Amino acid sequence: MGNANTSPGRREGPLLIAGRIALFVVALVVGLSFFVPFMWQVLMSISEVADVDLLTKTVTPPEANWENYPRVFNHEQIEFGRYFFNSFFVAGWVTIIQVITCSMAAYAFSRLQWPGRDKVFLGYLGTLMVPGVVLMVPTYAIVRYMGMFNDYTGLIIPVSFTAYGTFLLRQFMLTIPTSLDEAASIDGAGHWRIYSQIILPLARPGIIVMAIFAFLFNYNAFFWPLIIVKDENLRTLPIGLLAFNTSYGQETPLIMAASLMAMIPPVIIFLVLQKYLVKGIQLGAVKG
Amino acid sequence: MAEVKLDHVRKVYDGTVVAVEDFHLTIKDGEFVVLVGPSGCGKSTTLRMVAGLEEISDGTISIGDRVVNDVLPKDRDIAMVFQNYALYPHMTVYKNMAFGLMLRKLPRDQIHTRVEQTAAMLGIEHLLKRRPKALSGGQRQRVALGRAIVREPKVFLFDEPLSNLDAKLRVTTRTEIKNLHQRLKTTTIYVTHDQEEAMTLGDRIVVMSEGKVQQVDTPLNIYRRPANRFVAAFLGSPPMNFIQGKLEESEGGLHFMDGQYIDLTLPGEMASRVASHKGKAVTLGFRPTAMSETAEGKFAGPGNSLTLQTSVVEPLGERIDVSCTSSTGGHLVARIEARDDFPVGDRVTFHLDMSHVHLFADGEFGPNLVHPSA
Amino acid sequence: MKSRRALLIALAFLLPNLIGFLVFTFGPILYSLWISLTDWALTRQNDFNEEPVNFIGVENYQRLLVGDESVLFWDYFWNTVFLMLGIPIGIAGSLVLAMMLSTRTTPRRLSRRISLSTLILVVTILASFGTWVVTNPGPRPTDSAEVLSSEEGLGTLTEWQVDRMRSNGTVLLVATLGGMAFMGIAAGSVFFRTVYYLPSLLAGVAMYLLWKALFRPRGGLINAMLGPPLEWLQSAVESTPPWLWYALGITIAGIAALLCLSMVLTGVRKLASGESGITAFVGRLGVVVTLLATGAGLGYTTVQLPAQALLPNGVSNLTADDIASVVLEMGGEAGVSGELLASLAGQIQPDVTPEDAIAQLAPAVTLDTESRLREVVYSRTSATKIGYTAGEGLSPPEWLISSRWAKTAIVIMGVWLGIGGSNMLLYLAGLSNIPPELYEAAAIDGASGWSRFINVTWPQLAPTTFFIVIMSTIGGLQGGFEQAMVMTEGKADTITLTYYLYNVAFEDEFQLGLASAIAWIMFAMIFVMTALNFRVGSQMVND
Ligand SMILES: Nc1ncnc2c1ncn2[C@@H]1O[C@H](COP(=O)(O)OP(=O)(O)OP(=O)(O)O)[C@@H](O)[C@H]1O
Ligand SMILES: [Mg+2]
Repeated sequence: MGNANTSPGRREGPLLIAGRIALFVVALVVGLSFFVPFMWQVLMSISEVADVDLLTKTVTPPEANWENYPRVFNHEQIEFGRYFFNSFFVAGWVTIIQVITCSMAAYAFSRLQWPGRDKVFLGYLGTLMVPGVVLMVPTYAIVRYMGMFNDYTGLIIPVSFTAYGTFLLRQFMLTIPTSLDEAASIDGAGHWRIYSQIILPLARPGIIVMAIFAFLFNYNAFFWPLIIVKDENLRTLPIGLLAFNTSYGQETPLIMAASLMAMIPPVIIFLVLQKYLVKGIQLGAVKG
Repeated sequence: MAEVKLDHVRKVYDGTVVAVEDFHLTIKDGEFVVLVGPSGCGKSTTLRMVAGLEEISDGTISIGDRVVNDVLPKDRDIAMVFQNYALYPHMTVYKNMAFGLMLRKLPRDQIHTRVEQTAAMLGIEHLLKRRPKALSGGQRQRVALGRAIVREPKVFLFDEPLSNLDAKLRVTTRTEIKNLHQRLKTTTIYVTHDQEEAMTLGDRIVVMSEGKVQQVDTPLNIYRRPANRFVAAFLGSPPMNFIQGKLEESEGGLHFMDGQYIDLTLPGEMASRVASHKGKAVTLGFRPTAMSETAEGKFAGPGNSLTLQTSVVEPLGERIDVSCTSSTGGHLVARIEARDDFPVGDRVTFHLDMSHVHLFADGEFGPNLVHPSA
Repeated sequence: MKSRRALLIALAFLLPNLIGFLVFTFGPILYSLWISLTDWALTRQNDFNEEPVNFIGVENYQRLLVGDESVLFWDYFWNTVFLMLGIPIGIAGSLVLAMMLSTRTTPRRLSRRISLSTLILVVTILASFGTWVVTNPGPRPTDSAEVLSSEEGLGTLTEWQVDRMRSNGTVLLVATLGGMAFMGIAAGSVFFRTVYYLPSLLAGVAMYLLWKALFRPRGGLINAMLGPPLEWLQSAVESTPPWLWYALGITIAGIAALLCLSMVLTGVRKLASGESGITAFVGRLGVVVTLLATGAGLGYTTVQLPAQALLPNGVSNLTADDIASVVLEMGGEAGVSGELLASLAGQIQPDVTPEDAIAQLAPAVTLDTESRLREVVYSRTSATKIGYTAGEGLSPPEWLISSRWAKTAIVIMGVWLGIGGSNMLLYLAGLSNIPPELYEAAAIDGASGWSRFINVTWPQLAPTTFFIVIMSTIGGLQGGFEQAMVMTEGKADTITLTYYLYNVAFEDEFQLGLASAIAWIMFAMIFVMTALNFRVGSQMVND
């Protein structure tokens, strides 16, 4: 239990070593229970439809059948590649807009003195407590008024200006010493330059965390795209997957291949940027 | 190169906190002025107003012939060294130094030569490719200096640049800053709370307290003729000894008496200067070095002895510091010739050099009665 | 003016975000409140016709809470609450995992780690190879035409093929286990942390589709793994008299109850005497509740075992005619033509079990209709047991199909997804922030194990727990939509409040007014719960 660290000099008794081995085994078993479903997904995805149910008896299919992967993309009606593109396109733009606008706003909140600053910030903070479902209906109505319904803009714009990202980056920027901006302003930098050449580079870890979360969140987003998109060509991956499942629910291998591919980008992002992500969450700054 | 003029400058934070009050001073071209004072007395605020980092509530500041009240820091042609150095962590040392020059759109090769020269001057050529994180405290300090110097500004501003260094490095860097100034002859305003640093560095020292300037003068003048009791107490180590008492006339002369055992006769010239305070409460001040065990030379003479209860002896080498308690309970220190067999714990009689004794009017900021300021 | 200038500069930086914020966050909140007080429905008053939106005051709220929508609303509310039952289990699990990961399990010295992991790698390779050698059926026999009996569903494969598949599977499992052990030694807890965290990162439609496949009653991994233990239990129940199980069940529940009683009494005594603070008491209460629930559940299940296992399975009192009538009824609902219905109903043979009847219909109806059919048939089946496989007694649940198990399935998946997620990372951070001196002091005071946890770890983690609980309840109350949409399409009684809102606002009638009222009621609930959390939590944190 707990951080039962033994002092480095002391020799460890056999009891302790046995305990550690037991703990390692438990960790391993737990890890296995997290891993096996994914393994199963792969195994299902390379089976024939007729053979999927066999896996519980034999673990592996008779032959590895990789056909399902190209099949996912080569379909007459469902353009899976298009969904992929849409998800990347939407999540990418949202991330870019969020990084730019939130970091600028955070600069105004953390570095500039102006009348009314704290009141406006309080307004931002207050909205953080409002659950997302409250926003769905009115935003939907607003988007329809603005003619962004069933359009990329409707997918991107309404989710690109989060108070949350602003709050996160402001907190991060507050940790950067003000003497750096002062030094820069004495060196001859104006506000834009201080923002772009001093604060932005220094806030990079915070921005990366925010960007990862913005991207992943919007890559996985379901509710909003579901209600805002009617055109099949605009479907993002989650919506596309759902449609795919509705048409091909019987074909488990095909569905598994599709969903497995949808999972790959987040895994890659996580593995590459793990360090930042874990830090970001552990700062307690990111929504649990 | 420029003269800096602060004309009745005042700074009020949030409409209530008066940080600086009626700061009036002209700093000559090439002069090295040190602002010194206890924490919170408004030194940094004054410096930051010169830099343009704080708005000026009242009065004007000019650099050269230009009033800079509404000039942005970047256009004031100044350079500043911060207490925490404020080096840009994401830039190499070279870029840190070149940043200001690049913003001023200097040609590349010119920037290069200037950075290289400055680095050579400070002995940090080998660090140019490193990031601040990979430098020691002293090296960072040098880079911060270099970043200021390379700009060749009209005015240098330093805000406690040495306070993050260890004692030894502080002394050597201090000397170096002085050398640099003698070489570059740039007008400099230097903030510190360390009176020793102020004494050694400044052409002139500005002693501040509670937002007000207490005295402006050369180090030695301030030391010898502190304008008031605050300045006297602030400068000098160990600090000046003070005894509360009264001026009374008896036996044809003016005497300082604490009402118990102390009775000192004031020398004639001093007596005539303070005659108007006869019968009033005053504070007697004298430096620990103005005390002696023997009544020889300048310590000779009648009516200059003082018997104190000694408690602790701190040997310093040539001399020793003796902590004493006066009859009224005041704490005093005497710095006298070293000797091994000093009778610690006994009552000892000391002799004062009466020509170096000060008298202050009552109160923390009581003016110096012996050397009234102009 | 200086401050005017400052304001202009600030606005230049702020405006891009501020406009978006006002239009898409701040504005909508106020707008939503107004919408909730109107009868706005897009089918009546949309952008194309001019019919005005009527202000109807709190009527929407009234309809939801006590009026004509209240049955649905509260039903869905309780569904939501049911799904939230997974939250405490998940949080406790996150804490356990975090404590496990923060304990050093691998050697400290790098050289030892390298040699140990190399050893494991070699062992894994050897073991995999050995497994392959032992289980591998050899080259395909020339006379491989012999087809297996179709009993196991392996009808089209030859014995050799099956042997080879099993061999490959065993090798794969051995290699996976060894590979994970290798990584675990080489990379230490970072590896496990990554493995535990990945599911929560991937939570979304793709993940729910995977779990939908895992939950398949036949051929799904979960039921396949439940099969053997249930079989064992079945034979155990069969070979013992039922009263033994009744006694056992009552004993289990009784012991749990007694234990809980004594724990509560001790807790109250300690609290009253000031021996321990409210934190420890709340922690204790949590343990008590969990224990009580587990004990009661276990006891009830045990008592039920004979009834479940010994009744002949699959016997329904529904006749073929009954099923046919259900088909007609449902088909009518789904808008299938009467002709087709009649022919469907006619396909049902007499003397079949409901499952067989449904299986007969399956090719002719959509999956959707099939599962709804199954649901209705089961709800009308008076046999006490669930399950479908004829004559096998205790059988694994029909996870996502039966109303009885679907929510549980979603909870299980939720726990699996969230247990290693950001909560675990937060707890890890919290644990690493506990000063080691506290443990040392506790050790010197003679505390160990449980008392160290209660007196040091748990109170020190109180702020983290507080944060996690608040975030989880807020998320939980809004949750369940995606899961139900993907895994059950809202069937099997899995609709939550958010799903309800979706149905009301964005399906059929597009009743934006009513939907906004749902949202605001949810907001109010979240607000109350958060306030409650704050009350209890701030006491705990300040303890
Ligand atoms: N931003 C501010 N808002 C309000 N009051 C301030 C602000 N900055 C400084 N002050 C106050 O102004 C007074 C002078 O501060 P200043 O920083 O100039 O002191 P200082 O002499 O530099 O002290 P130190 O040696 O500790 O740096 C202090 O009483 C301080 O509390
Ligand atoms: Mg200061």
